[in-house]
Amino acid sequence: MASSVLTDSRWIARGEERTSLPRFLLWLSPWALLLALGVYAAGLCLYYGLNQTNMDNRFAFGLWIFLDLGVIALGAGAFFTGFLVYILKRAELKPILNTAVVVGFICYSGAVAILMIDVGQPLRAWFTFWHPNTHSMLTEVTFCISCYLLVLSLEYIPILFRNRQLRKIPSFFIFEHQLHKLVPVLAAVGTLLSFFHQGSLGGLYGVLRGRPFAFRTGFLIWPSTFFLFILSAIASGPSFLMLVTATVEKVTGRRLVPQEVFGRLAFISGLLLAIYVAAKSVDTLVWLNVTSPSAGFAPWQYYSHKPFGTPILFAEIVVFGLLPASLLLFRKTAEHRGLLLTAAAMACCGILLNRFVLTVQTLALPTLPFDEFLSYVPSWQEVASFGGVIAYGVIVYSLSYRYLPLFGSKGETTHVSGN
Amino acid sequence: MRFSRRDLLVWGAGAAAGLVVTPVPWKILDDTSKWSQNWPWIPQPARVPVEFKQSACTLCPNGCGLRVRMAAGWAVGVAGLSTHSVSRGALCPLGFGAHQLNWQPQRLRAVRHRGSASSWSEAQAAFAKARSEGPIVVIDGYPGRAASFVLQSFAEKQSGNYRVVQGAETRALKPYEEWTGIPAASLGYDLENTTTILSFGTPLLDGWGVPGRFTRLWSERAAGTSDPQLRLIQVESSFSRTASKAWQWIHIREGSDSALASGLARVLVEQNLVPAHGPIPAMSLAEAASQTGLTVQAIADMARMLIAKTPTLAIAPDNNPSIAALNVLLGSVGTRGGIVRRTQSQQAYASADEIPNARAILIDSSVPWDFAPQSDAEVFRFAAWDGGPTKVDWLLPAPGFLEELTDVPTAPTASVETYGIAPSLVKPVSEVQSAAQFVAGVDSSSSSPEKVIHTRCEELYRKRSGAIVSKDRTPVSQLASAQKLEEALQNGAVWMDEPASSVKLRCELKEWPTNGPQPGPGNWTSEWAAPVLPPLASKLYIESDLRESLHRGNA
Amino acid sequence: MSAARYGMVIDLDRCTGCGSCMVACASENNVPALPQATARTGLTPILVREVSNGKQGADHREAFFPIMCMHCEHDTPCVKVCPQQAVEVDKATGIVMQMPQRCLGCRYCMTACPYHARYYNWWDPSWPKGMEKSLNPGVAVRMRGVVEKCNLCHARLHSAMEKAAAAGKREIDQADYVPACVEACPTGAIHFGNLADANDPVTKESRSPESFRLLAKLGTEPKLYYKSKEAWVRAMAEPNTAPTSEAQHG
Repeated sequence: MASSVLTDSRWIARGEERTSLPRFLLWLSPWALLLALGVYAAGLCLYYGLNQTNMDNRFAFGLWIFLDLGVIALGAGAFFTGFLVYILKRAELKPILNTAVVVGFICYSGAVAILMIDVGQPLRAWFTFWHPNTHSMLTEVTFCISCYLLVLSLEYIPILFRNRQLRKIPSFFIFEHQLHKLVPVLAAVGTLLSFFHQGSLGGLYGVLRGRPFAFRTGFLIWPSTFFLFILSAIASGPSFLMLVTATVEKVTGRRLVPQEVFGRLAFISGLLLAIYVAAKSVDTLVWLNVTSPSAGFAPWQYYSHKPFGTPILFAEIVVFGLLPASLLLFRKTAEHRGLLLTAAAMACCGILLNRFVLTVQTLALPTLPFDEFLSYVPSWQEVASFGGVIAYGVIVYSLSYRYLPLFGSKGETTHVSGN
Repeated sequence: MRFSRRDLLVWGAGAAAGLVVTPVPWKILDDTSKWSQNWPWIPQPARVPVEFKQSACTLCPNGCGLRVRMAAGWAVGVAGLSTHSVSRGALCPLGFGAHQLNWQPQRLRAVRHRGSASSWSEAQAAFAKARSEGPIVVIDGYPGRAASFVLQSFAEKQSGNYRVVQGAETRALKPYEEWTGIPAASLGYDLENTTTILSFGTPLLDGWGVPGRFTRLWSERAAGTSDPQLRLIQVESSFSRTASKAWQWIHIREGSDSALASGLARVLVEQNLVPAHGPIPAMSLAEAASQTGLTVQAIADMARMLIAKTPTLAIAPDNNPSIAALNVLLGSVGTRGGIVRRTQSQQAYASADEIPNARAILIDSSVPWDFAPQSDAEVFRFAAWDGGPTKVDWLLPAPGFLEELTDVPTAPTASVETYGIAPSLVKPVSEVQSAAQFVAGVDSSSSSPEKVIHTRCEELYRKRSGAIVSKDRTPVSQLASAQKLEEALQNGAVWMDEPASSVKLRCELKEWPTNGPQPGPGNWTSEWAAPVLPPLASKLYIESDLRESLHRGNA
Repeated sequence: MSAARYGMVIDLDRCTGCGSCMVACASENNVPALPQATARTGLTPILVREVSNGKQGADHREAFFPIMCMHCEHDTPCVKVCPQQAVEVDKATGIVMQMPQRCLGCRYCMTACPYHARYYNWWDPSWPKGMEKSLNPGVAVRMRGVVEKCNLCHARLHSAMEKAAAAGKREIDQADYVPACVEACPTGAIHFGNLADANDPVTKESRSPESFRLLAKLGTEPKLYYKSKEAWVRAMAEPNTAPTSEAQHG
């Protein structure tokens, strides 16, 4: 390769090959543009207020809340992989660990960024910490997500410090090494925090007594959606990791993780998804026959408004639930990359559909007998902010892949199997 | 001394720990929270003591009593005056937001002459010149006031060209003028003593007359029971608010009110349900049925319903001779519970529909904005609010809500003569003049509304009839002086005449009237004179679906 | 002052849907009338909804439901979900109090409220120049980005309490505390009283067989009752007894 004036090879791990810097910048530029547009849209919302969105008094939550819930569910692969590797000692998943942390970091930081725009008075965000309401699921979510983002940052920093140039700085090197001893603790803490906030995100809707479509009874103070959300998150997390890894392999044209990693992730995702589908089916039956009627709402009323008819329920549980679960559990699926990824994508879609149904359909449905079924279409500012988060994710991941040993590096001693 | 990185870390950690113990971070947090609680660009009302004053609303001729919350000399809230015997503490929805009207962007604040800025002195000079060159026509939209007296006296000096724009509520009484010889302005409805009301689309529960009068009466006598003391039968082609609450809703085709009245009249006479033997309308019962969409039997049943509990009173929303004739047949003209004469006054007004040729036309601010005189005369238009493009020559800013002292003559539909005073409670927002003040400026022999109010109070005191009604009822004969009477009126009391005499009116109806063109349905702001609605009225038609929007200046 | 439970019985047979309560409420509470607001972004702490029995022709009937905060007593949805305790049920009065100064604007409470009684300030409030002189001094103006709702004209309760205190009394005179909507209603359809007082006529009315609460089966124990002689209006209490929403708007 001709040595061009523009090069960053000293930042790239020795022995690793990455595309040329100009090409890399070319790859980044559309995403940078999208990010810029997203930042501009977010700036408009912060400056002018939330009237820049198409949310209104009936659709108080919109695209962004769906994005938050969805992205946090998909980012569950981070804590779950850490849990599997460090607590359950499943060493075969180590190759995917770093990428899981980066994906998790992107998902959570993106969600928090969007949350800061989604509130009317961002400067008062600290009030939740100062005047917490112990009965509110949202308090729990706020605390846990903030703490977990801190945990993810602490897990990401060591990976960052393994950059070829950064690790030359002794304090960084030592810090990374010391922190590495902490990783199992962080994994445990992360698991605990994630268990609670993934659940609380489900609890956000499950406790809504005033929205019988979302309301569920459950165990003590936790509605069934608390547990269903945890299950669905840990089911979709590995699938999402598979999709990300496979995409990176496709884009970079190299095999980054052993095939057995995919096989294992597929099995885990499929098993959890199957359990989730079973649990969800039971929950749905209980809700349709007991919980909802006792609140005065006949279930057919929920599905009598187009386009939210019973096909959506069927799609959520069967088409994007049972079907991908079966595919993922079927051993042969992992051998066919295309089929595997289709199943993984369907699993992720199923979880996203569940989040959509709970955020958007809940608000669209009438509660008062004389309410109408309402629709909502996000404004360009909302979509652009959403796009900005995706662009942010791609950029951070691209930079991480380029400059950091996400998948282990040849010719470098790594501390991946430390302790 | 060597300051190493380690030292930096140690000192940094120590400083951070120490800072937490000082008030500094907590004060900063506290200040940011306070700062985020009170953004400087959010207007906050000053914390001043409030007091309550009484006045009356003059934005339509019904003159509801007001209890106005005042702070620092401005009106900060409006409610009905519960002791007001005419309005009984109720207002229309628009009244509750009226105190904000004076600052509407459409408020007229400066004299304009054909689109460019001018001044009061120029306007007065032009008017004086016009007056010297030819006749002046004065148009008033709210006759009976002291200001109206000033304008009328002025106009009479200019060859008697005083014209009145009368609202639908007065127009509905016009047919009786011809048959009884009593002017419409002296007639009213004796609702308090009636038992059956046949309303032909009249919004009795939605802004007709003095809102509080009928809504309170209906609430006391008819609401919430299937056998009410007061039977309200609403005949209407659509399901209005009044229809939704009526004892019966009779659904007829749009525009067939007169046909129904004719059909009912025919049944009443032919089946000897009423003492009267005529006149009978030309329309056959079958024709009436076909036009209304009702069956012949339904009309016959309805006629029986009308005489089941008498007195029965038919009320039309506008001038409709057939409906008025029905009242004659029902024997409800000049009787208790029917159309009554409330005053011996013979004051009849010439309509502004036909304006004689004139050199100049003076239009009072009480005249609706869309009134457009068909004339080449120089038009001097008084208005408090700009209602949109206009062809008038002079736009003259008039006093707005509660900005001038005025009096409150009897409401157009009242059965008893009343009188009240609406004191001025707030400073005008700019240099304004009413039409009456303006003519006084040009014609020094003109009286002023204040003087006329004085004189009226003195006359009322001298006559010794009626009573001052507020929390209690005090006969005028027991008052110490005319001044006491005037003071009581200034403080929200109402002078009420003795109830209408039960002398039957002579009512001659020789033949069934032929109807003129049917007026269109009114909207919920029909009687509201100003071209703009109070800002908070937007809650009803912009920020909710409760009422349909209207094409007005601020809609 | 002994603990009260302020509530209402709204006589739907008397409500004509005029909207006076809506305007009076907005005036009392310094609610702005922003020209860019719509029926879905407008701020109407009390909102009168038009309902019909779903039938056409001569059998068509309509009624009007004034909807505002129901001041729920049990498991109050909005109180339970607010992450920073910006809402609480006032023990002394039973009023569900909203603190706009603490509100983050997360709108979770709006999602939780089945009555849609909560409104968000999508814009900063503003008035044409000079109109801020017409603002009610007893009520603070809120800023953009916070949620608000009916608080039973708490400023008027405060004035009644000040008046009682100035006269050396411990209990307010009920006649001094009349919310704006109650005062404005031309047919007297809104009856306001203390449900903790067994002798209060409103308490007795709330126990009548004609009285009902909206969505009572949700179990939030609202303190706002409705009353009607018409069975079809009472059937509006629950969605599985009411005519379908399509029939309402068909």
